[in-house]
Amino acid sequence: MTAYALYLVVSLSLNLEAGFAGVPNFGKVMFVAAGAAVAGSVSGRLAAIILNVNTHGNYNGFIAQIITQLDSSLSTNAVLSIEILLLGILLAAIIGATLGFVTSFPAIRLREDYLGMLLLAAAQLFQIFLGGYEPLIGGTQGIEVPDLFAWAGNGIEIRDVVVLGFLAVFAGVVYFYAERVARSPLGRTLRAIRDNEMAARALGKNDVAMRRNVIIVASAISAMAGALLTFYVGAVNAEAWTRITWTFWIWVMVIIGGAANNAGVALGAFSFTFLFKIVDQVKFYFQGSIPFDVNWLEYLLFASLLIVILAFRPGGILPEKSSVTLPWRTVAEIMRPKSEPPPSLGPRSDVRQLPKAVRTDESSPATPP
Amino acid sequence: MVSQFVLDAVVYASLFGLMAVGLTLTYLTTKVPNFAYGSFVTIGSYTSFSVFRIYHLDPYVFAAPLAFFVGALVSVAMYLGVLRTLARRGSSLVALMISTLAIDIAFVGVFGIYSDFLTSHYGIVDSKNFFRLLADFSLFGLPGVFYISPISLAAITIGLFFFLTRTKFGVAMRASVENPSLARVLGIDVERAYVFAWFLAGGFAATAGSFSALWLQGGTTVGSELIVEIFAASVLGGLASIYGAAVGGLIIGASEILLTQAGIAVFGSWISIYQKGFPLLIMVITLLLFPRGLVSIKWGRIFGTVVSFFDSLADRLSDIFRFGRGK
Repeated sequence: MTAYALYLVVSLSLNLEAGFAGVPNFGKVMFVAAGAAVAGSVSGRLAAIILNVNTHGNYNGFIAQIITQLDSSLSTNAVLSIEILLLGILLAAIIGATLGFVTSFPAIRLREDYLGMLLLAAAQLFQIFLGGYEPLIGGTQGIEVPDLFAWAGNGIEIRDVVVLGFLAVFAGVVYFYAERVARSPLGRTLRAIRDNEMAARALGKNDVAMRRNVIIVASAISAMAGALLTFYVGAVNAEAWTRITWTFWIWVMVIIGGAANNAGVALGAFSFTFLFKIVDQVKFYFQGSIPFDVNWLEYLLFASLLIVILAFRPGGILPEKSSVTLPWRTVAEIMRPKSEPPPSLGPRSDVRQLPKAVRTDESSPATPP
Repeated sequence: MVSQFVLDAVVYASLFGLMAVGLTLTYLTTKVPNFAYGSFVTIGSYTSFSVFRIYHLDPYVFAAPLAFFVGALVSVAMYLGVLRTLARRGSSLVALMISTLAIDIAFVGVFGIYSDFLTSHYGIVDSKNFFRLLADFSLFGLPGVFYISPISLAAITIGLFFFLTRTKFGVAMRASVENPSLARVLGIDVERAYVFAWFLAGGFAATAGSFSALWLQGGTTVGSELIVEIFAASVLGGLASIYGAAVGGLIIGASEILLTQAGIAVFGSWISIYQKGFPLLIMVITLLLFPRGLVSIKWGRIFGTVVSFFDSLADRLSDIFRFGRGK
C-alpha cells in the first residue's frame, strides 16, 4: 500500500509532464533520487545538531551510533520529528524544483528524441554521482536515516498505519492537484501545446513558460515522494535508484493506465503494484523448478506487457478523454446577445434549433461553434 | 612502450566508433533513439565470454563473427517484431522510445537468465560480472585488441563508404533513408533496405561487444551503462551521418579516457568516478551549440575565416614593413 501511494504520486507527476505537456521524461529516477538523497542526508544531520548529538565531525563514519541516539530522542519528541519530516520534504521539493528548472532548459529547446536521450544520460550520471560521492549519502553503502515516525508507537504496525495515513493524504493531495490541473484551462492549454505547439503559440499561449513550470512542479512532486520513501524505509543508498525501478516502472504504470488521464494513471499504478505483489508471491513456487533466478522473469514480463499494451491498446486501460467543456445550452446562453429575445421566441429558426439538437447528446463533449 | 591510458583511449575510441556507427544506422532508418542498443553490445560480450570460457576457442576467429550474426539477427527481430509493428499501428515517437526502453529491460532479464544458466549448467560462477577475458594475443608487447578494434572500425567505415556509394543496393539504401516515399515510387524496396540497416547495426554493436569483453568488464548491465557514451558519440556526429558517428565515437572514447586522466592529474583521483560525466558534458555542449553535430559545422568556412584573417594580418604587416622601409 505504501508502495502504491508513492508510485501513484510519481506516476501522476510523470503524467503531468509526459501525458499532458508532452515532455518525455526518461530520467524520472533522477528527481526521485535527488529528493531521497537530500532528505536522507540532511534530516539526520539536522536532528543531530538540534539534539546535540556528538557526530565526531564525521557524520557518515559514526552513522550507526548517531542514529541510535537520535532515534531514542526522537521517539519521545513527536513535534520535532514532524518538523524535521516536513522540513526534509520541503527541502526535497526545493531541490527537485531546482533540478527541474535546470532540466527545463534543454527540455523546451530540444525535440522529443534528443531530450529523451539527454535525460536518460543525465539520470545515469546522477546515479553515478550518488554512488560515487560518499559525503552525501555514503555512496553505494548508503546511510541510515533517523526514524521520524518513531513517536507513533513501539509496535511496527502502528508506525506503518501512521506512515500509510501520511502517504495516503499526500497522494490524495497530489491526485486532487493533478485532477484540478487536468480540468482547468491550464490542462487544456498544455494539451493544446502538446498536440500542436505552433497553433498554441499562434493563439498567444506561452508554451515555453508553461512547459518549464510543469517540469518544475512535477520534479518537485517526485522529489517529495523520494523523500517520503527515504523516511519510511529509514535508510537511503544509491543502489536503489535505477533506471528500471523509478523510470521504467513508472512509465509502465502511466502507459498501462492511460496517459493524460489521472484516473487511468491511478488505475495503472494500482494494477502494476498489484501485479508486482502477485508475481512476488507466486514466483517462489517456481524457484526450485527452473534453473535461474525468477526475478529476471519479472523484467521480461513487464517489458512484454508494456509492448503488448502499446501495440493493442495504445491509449491504456482508460484512454485520454476529450476535454470537458461547457454544455451546448450554456454556451448558447452565453453567446446569445443580451438584446435578442430568447431563442425559443425569436424569429430565426436556426438559433431556435440549436439547443434542441444538442439536447440529445448532451453527455458527449462538445466544442463551441 | 605505450602507456596504459593511451592504450585505453585507442581501444575505447574505436569501440565507441563502431557502436556509434550502428546506432546512427538505426536512427537514420526509424528516427527513434534506440535505448536497447547497448544490450547488443552485451550480446557480443556474452558471446565472447561463452565461446572462450566453455569451448576455449579464440575470441577473434570464432566469437566475433558469431557475435555479429547473433546481434544482427536479434536486431532484425527487434525491428520487425516490435518497432515496425508498433510504427504500423501508428504509435507516437514517445511510444516507440519507451518500447525500446522496454526491450532493453527485457534484455537485462534475458542476460540474467543466461548468466544463471551458465552458472548452473557449466559451473561458471563469475558469469554475472566478469573481468576482462585473458584470451587476447599480444603483438610487439601490446594486446591484440589494440590493433584489431581500430582496424575493424576503419574497415567497417571504409566498407560502408564503398557499399553506400558504389553498389546499387547501397545507393538504394541511402535513397530510402533520405526520402522513403520517393524511393518507393522508384521501385526501391525500402523495407528491405531498413531491415538490412538494422542487421548491420546489431552486428556492429555485437562485434564491438565481443572485442570489449577482452578489454572491459562484462556483465548483465554493461550495455545499458555504455548507452550514455554511445548516444553522446552519435549526437556529436550529428545522428545523421555514419562517418560523423565514427568520428564522434573516436572523440568521445578518447576524450573520456584522456580528460579523466587529465582530471586526475589536476584535481586528484576522486574525479575518476565521474569518468562518464565527460561524454555527457560533450553531449550537452553539442546539443546547445551545434545540435546537428560535427557534420553540420562548416569547416570550410571556419578554415576560410582563419586563412583570410592571416592573409589580412600579413597584408597589414607588410604594409607597415613597407611603410617603414619607404621612409
